[in-house]
Amino acid sequence: MPNLPVDPTVLMLAIAAIVALLLYLHEANLRKKLESAGDTFLEDLREKGWDTLHQSIKKSQDILGEAELEGVKVVAGTTLETAKFEQDIEKKLAEALNLSKQNIATAQASFLQFMQDLQKRSEEFEEAQKTTGQSRINQLFDSVEGKLSDFLIQTAQKTTSAIELELKASRQLIDTYKAEQLKLIDENIVAMMEQTLSIVLAKKLSLKDQLDLVYEALEKAKVEKFIV
Amino acid sequence: MNNILATILKDTYSLSQLKHRLRILKSNLLKTFFGGITSTSEESKPTSEVTHPEDSNWLKSLPQSFYQQFNKDNVYQIFSDLEKMTTNLPILTMYLAFEPDEATLNQLGTFVRQTFNFPLLLLDIKINPNLIAGTALVWKGIYKDYSLHAKIEEKRNEISQGFKRFLR
Repeated sequence: MPNLPVDPTVLMLAIAAIVALLLYLHEANLRKKLESAGDTFLEDLREKGWDTLHQSIKKSQDILGEAELEGVKVVAGTTLETAKFEQDIEKKLAEALNLSKQNIATAQASFLQFMQDLQKRSEEFEEAQKTTGQSRINQLFDSVEGKLSDFLIQTAQKTTSAIELELKASRQLIDTYKAEQLKLIDENIVAMMEQTLSIVLAKKLSLKDQLDLVYEALEKAKVEKFIV
Repeated sequence: MNNILATILKDTYSLSQLKHRLRILKSNLLKTFFGGITSTSEESKPTSEVTHPEDSNWLKSLPQSFYQQFNKDNVYQIFSDLEKMTTNLPILTMYLAFEPDEATLNQLGTFVRQTFNFPLLLLDIKINPNLIAGTALVWKGIYKDYSLHAKIEEKRNEISQGFKRFLR
């Protein structure tokens, strides 16, 4: 066997590698043990779970059975009660319907009677109203006719009176105007005649005529002894 | 003096005519006596101031004896006396509706003097057309209307009544 050089570094590395390997192996072994223990525990748990599940299912089925049974019982009872109730209801309803029909018929009859009475009263009232209205209308017409007649008479009297007053005033106005005009004519007509004569005679009278009138005037003055 | 006035008034009838004739006569005589006209035959000739033919005719119509009463010494005195006398002459104011001419005035004057017997009466002619016709007289301050206007006024009521009857 050859001698191999011993290097401490290599030696240390080899030792470290061996230790590491040992540790790895130990860890691998330990892990394998842990895995097996876990599997066992899991298996136990699975079994227990399955048992629990079976029991639960079983209990559930029991409960369901009981419930179904109870449900059937209840349904049967309910159906029976329902039928009975329906019958009661039908009976009561029929009775109520009959009663209602009777009441309705009675009410209808009463209503018809009431309507007939009402119609009768309405007709009577209408007739009375018509009679009263006619009477009132007649009275109103009579009153209006009387008032209108009075009003027309008064109006005619007032109108006649006003017209007479107007006529009187107009006549007075005309008379006054006529009198004033005539007075004016009276006052001026002689003056107008004088003016007309003055204009006309101044042109128409000849000198001889003028002298004759002067002589006539002088003769008159002599007769009156105006000049002595 | 009265003869002179009587001669003048013989054919002079109105106051204005008298005044006018006295003026032309005096003017004529003064011209004759103091204007160089010596001939007595020329005394009757009208002077140049007398232009109206009627005035000239009147001067010529006066008789010679009339002119012989005047001379240089008395002419002023005579005319002075004549003017005084004219103020005492009877004057009849006569209102006429027309203006009389000379001839008409002479007719009127003659008629008045004969009617009222006043030979020396003078007329004072005034014109009033409102009289229409006839005359109105004033004698010694009294007015008397004898015109047609007065007659109308006198019968105003009757005329007015007549018109009223006609109008109504």
